[in-house]
Amino acid sequence: MDKVMSNKKIIALYVLPAFALLVVLVYVPIFLTGYYGLTRWDGIGERVWVGFDNYARLMGDSMFWRSAYHSFLLAIFSLLSLVGYLIISMILAGKIKGADLFRKIYLIPMLLSSVAIAQLWMRIYHPTNGVMNRLLTSIGIENPPLWLADTSIVLYAIFIPIIWQYAGFYILIYYAALKNVPNELIEAARIDGASPWQIGYKIKLPLIMGVIKVTIVLAVVGSLKYFDLIYVMTDGGPNGASEVMASYMYKQAFRTYNFGYGSAVGFFLLLLALVVTWLIRKVTESKEDNVQY
Amino acid sequence: MFKSRLKVGTLAATLLLGLAACGGDADPDPGDTGTGDTGDGAPAGEAVVDFMHIWPAGSSPDHHRIVSDIIAEFEADNPGVTINMEVLENEQYKNQLQIISSSNQLPDVGMTWPAGFMVPYVNGNRFATLDDIFDEELNEDDFVAGTREAYEFDGQTYALPVELNIAPVFYNQELFEENGLDVPETYDEFLNVIDTLAENGVTPIALGNRDRWTGSMWYMYLADRYGANALNDAIDRSGSFEDEGLIQAAAEIQNMVDRNAFIRGFNGLSDQEAKAEFMNGNAAMYLIGSWDLPNFTTNEEVPQEFRDNVGFFKFPEVEGGEGDIDSWVGGPGVGLFVSEASDVKDEAKQFVKYFVQRWGEESVEDAGVIPGTQVDTDEVELAPLFIEVLDELNNASDITLFADVQMNAAVAETHLTLIQSLFGNEVTPEDFARQHEEALEENQGEDEVDFDDAEDDADADEAVDEEVDEE
Amino acid sequence: MANSDVAPDMHKTMWDNPTVMLIAKFILYVFLIGVAILQIFPLVWLFLFSLKNNQEVFNLPPLALPETPRWENYVTVWTQGNIGQYFFNSVLVTGSAVLLTIITASLVTFAITRMRWKLSKPVLGLFMVGLMIPVHSTLIPLFNFFLNVNLMDHLLAIILTYTAFNMPLTIMILLGFYNTLPREIEEAAIMDGCSINRLFFQIILPMTAPVVATTAIINMIYNWNEFVFVQTFISSDNLKTLTVGIQNFVGQYSTDWGAIGATLMISIIPILIAFFILSNRIVEGITAGSVKG
Repeated sequence: MDKVMSNKKIIALYVLPAFALLVVLVYVPIFLTGYYGLTRWDGIGERVWVGFDNYARLMGDSMFWRSAYHSFLLAIFSLLSLVGYLIISMILAGKIKGADLFRKIYLIPMLLSSVAIAQLWMRIYHPTNGVMNRLLTSIGIENPPLWLADTSIVLYAIFIPIIWQYAGFYILIYYAALKNVPNELIEAARIDGASPWQIGYKIKLPLIMGVIKVTIVLAVVGSLKYFDLIYVMTDGGPNGASEVMASYMYKQAFRTYNFGYGSAVGFFLLLLALVVTWLIRKVTESKEDNVQY
Repeated sequence: MFKSRLKVGTLAATLLLGLAACGGDADPDPGDTGTGDTGDGAPAGEAVVDFMHIWPAGSSPDHHRIVSDIIAEFEADNPGVTINMEVLENEQYKNQLQIISSSNQLPDVGMTWPAGFMVPYVNGNRFATLDDIFDEELNEDDFVAGTREAYEFDGQTYALPVELNIAPVFYNQELFEENGLDVPETYDEFLNVIDTLAENGVTPIALGNRDRWTGSMWYMYLADRYGANALNDAIDRSGSFEDEGLIQAAAEIQNMVDRNAFIRGFNGLSDQEAKAEFMNGNAAMYLIGSWDLPNFTTNEEVPQEFRDNVGFFKFPEVEGGEGDIDSWVGGPGVGLFVSEASDVKDEAKQFVKYFVQRWGEESVEDAGVIPGTQVDTDEVELAPLFIEVLDELNNASDITLFADVQMNAAVAETHLTLIQSLFGNEVTPEDFARQHEEALEENQGEDEVDFDDAEDDADADEAVDEEVDEE
Repeated sequence: MANSDVAPDMHKTMWDNPTVMLIAKFILYVFLIGVAILQIFPLVWLFLFSLKNNQEVFNLPPLALPETPRWENYVTVWTQGNIGQYFFNSVLVTGSAVLLTIITASLVTFAITRMRWKLSKPVLGLFMVGLMIPVHSTLIPLFNFFLNVNLMDHLLAIILTYTAFNMPLTIMILLGFYNTLPREIEEAAIMDGCSINRLFFQIILPMTAPVVATTAIINMIYNWNEFVFVQTFISSDNLKTLTVGIQNFVGQYSTDWGAIGATLMISIIPILIAFFILSNRIVEGITAGSVKG
């Protein structure tokens, strides 16, 4: 048995194709980016080696730290929304008629491309014609918020469609995990007189803990490198109020022709994501943990 | 150092000219084959010229059609040469240009913006010089003075202009009449117009300041009226941004904002969204470049009733200011470049030449575009509004190139962000000026090449291939 | 979003009372329906404004239909450009990439979770780090790479890139499931003299159907909506995908709300249909998985 299951040839055959793709298309490019981050380069002309100058500049770049703060805020919001997604999934996975239909409806926003979602929500938030402000005005609010123009709320205004968009994704994952909890366990608990609440909290939740940890990492890392809606809806504005790390990197690299500096920002973002993931692992580590991520 | 004021004295010549219809003399070298770029196979003995432009059929139907027509004509006149066209929308085009240029894969012919935008490409030796295509058919004199020069570095031309624009304040005549308003001639009258409209519940000005260059134009006019040349001097470092006129202009922007001059939520709206408000009669005024003239004159998709209703006025003079009412914000828009790495460079250059000439003839009449080449307005039938704008262009004392185009990319980004903060009342006029000054100071000499009129080539040595200064 | 009312902590005896049960169910349904409305309301509004012209969008109440619905918006959009070709390309790219990703990722996950080799943990780590890489910072190096291997302007470049970039997420989701598979199965199979290839393809892979279905949906959504890579690597119009076509179209008609609405609807409908057909299969798969435990 052991011998069969450690057949080197088979292992190589199974792992190498995927590994080669990953190395060539993901790792080599990101290491090249790391290298560009050590140069001054406008993306076109000669690269000039500058060592860690770009990183030194990054440390003192208040705009970068502001966008990093926004990215972390998004990560926190995503984590909070996970709780909501989890509760919905637990209800759906209980004995609810029409659960499948609900689950499908919840997933619909996820089917839209970010471009479409951005276009849609820009119209929802339109200061005069948008459905949001039309509704607010019709219930007597005279000066409804300028959602995307007000520096104090624009960031939260963008979080809403992000949470809306990803609801179906996480609900799908949680639902699938919950459906895999053995029925016998639940039935046994029910016979013992456990309330639905207790079944959810004491039996189901611990059993899908591995999946929950995976989603925590996904949500946090996804938030740190989040880009799409922000780029289309506000372009980081007004006045940087909705800038996040990825949009800042993009601006530096492709808008202001600081490709070297932009690469440094991108590489630093990767390092940050690694550190945060490691921290999450440390915090959520448990004895019976058999899920690696 | 940018020479940003176009010499418009000679603009009177705009109305003169006959462009010899041209063509057929391009004699493609049969040995010069293939595209070298995307590798789409062309039959041997044929040259394929890849051409990227920014006028999709949807948003610029007239431009798109004329481009396609010119390509068809060119191909008919030049057997063996095929033009392979790719169209991208403005913002995508800019991103794509940088990515493909990093691998030296520019299309054989493409579009560029003048001045600051071109600097990395010229420094990186990506654009071919075009001086060698000038002959008796097309030469420097055929361009409106100052337009070709906007694409000139170190005395060499790297692109040829196809557009020239000025930015008037367009207004809705019906809304003005309903509110008993006349076209303002002084700044005080202008403020009065704003106050009256605002009191009567009409949005005075449609502004889409998410795009930021839109707000920059308002600032540039105030800067010009208060400080005349101060803005240009600050940018080319012969002056300081902490000029009194520039600070005052910033304060006036905030004064306008406080008077509710601009549409609700302007900092979150795109220019396109703001334009829609103006065109639906929801706002009385809209400041935009003359490239939008077709929407107010010939575009059949816009209701006739609205088009008849649009007038324009010059940004009024400020009492005590140094500026002149005939000084405009504007300048050349896109121009055509030929890639230095192109392996069909000769054909590409022929195409550029052909295009610029034919474009000059076709675009005014069919697309309502003011080309970079000179126009004989007697020969073509034009909408009255269009003629008026052309006349203003001819009488212009000065045309100041859009600030974000004058500046190099990094300073332009700072400028545009500060414009948004200024309109959002998040920065004081003094800080606005100080932060500009710091950004300009920091980036001085970096990434810049000389950008001179042909006349003063004297200091042109410190130019194109000069290595980027180290900090 | 989280509503604590839905999971009341009560004594279990209360759950024997049918009235309490009924009220609890009622609250749950109100909550679920509320969330469902939030999820689809923007799309209903999108559909409504896709049938209006600008005048009607600006002047009618947001939820009113115009007197004559402007179906011509759809005709305009449909007749402009190459939508049929774009659609075909999208299907081809999405289908191939999903298939390739799932097979390679399943092989890797199997080798890592079931087989014994020293480097399995570090290799898994490398795959997981891929999750954190911001795609935009890899654009220029990737462009260079495809240029050198002559895959520029070729659909294969897109398919391989999607596969590589979706691999980490796919493996991450598969891992949790593979870890719950009982080892007795493979022990029995090996005892019977089953080869590893047969064990994987004929026993393990079918057992993972539910989770494979989940990852297929997620991959499908990502690939279908991806934009940046196609825009960067594909220049021929007849190789572009639906999202890029739609994005170009949206860029062109940004002032015409009706046309944009119609465009977005057209881009959503195919994936919506595909999802509703596929997702029944998936629900079956999930249920089957849960029966097996």
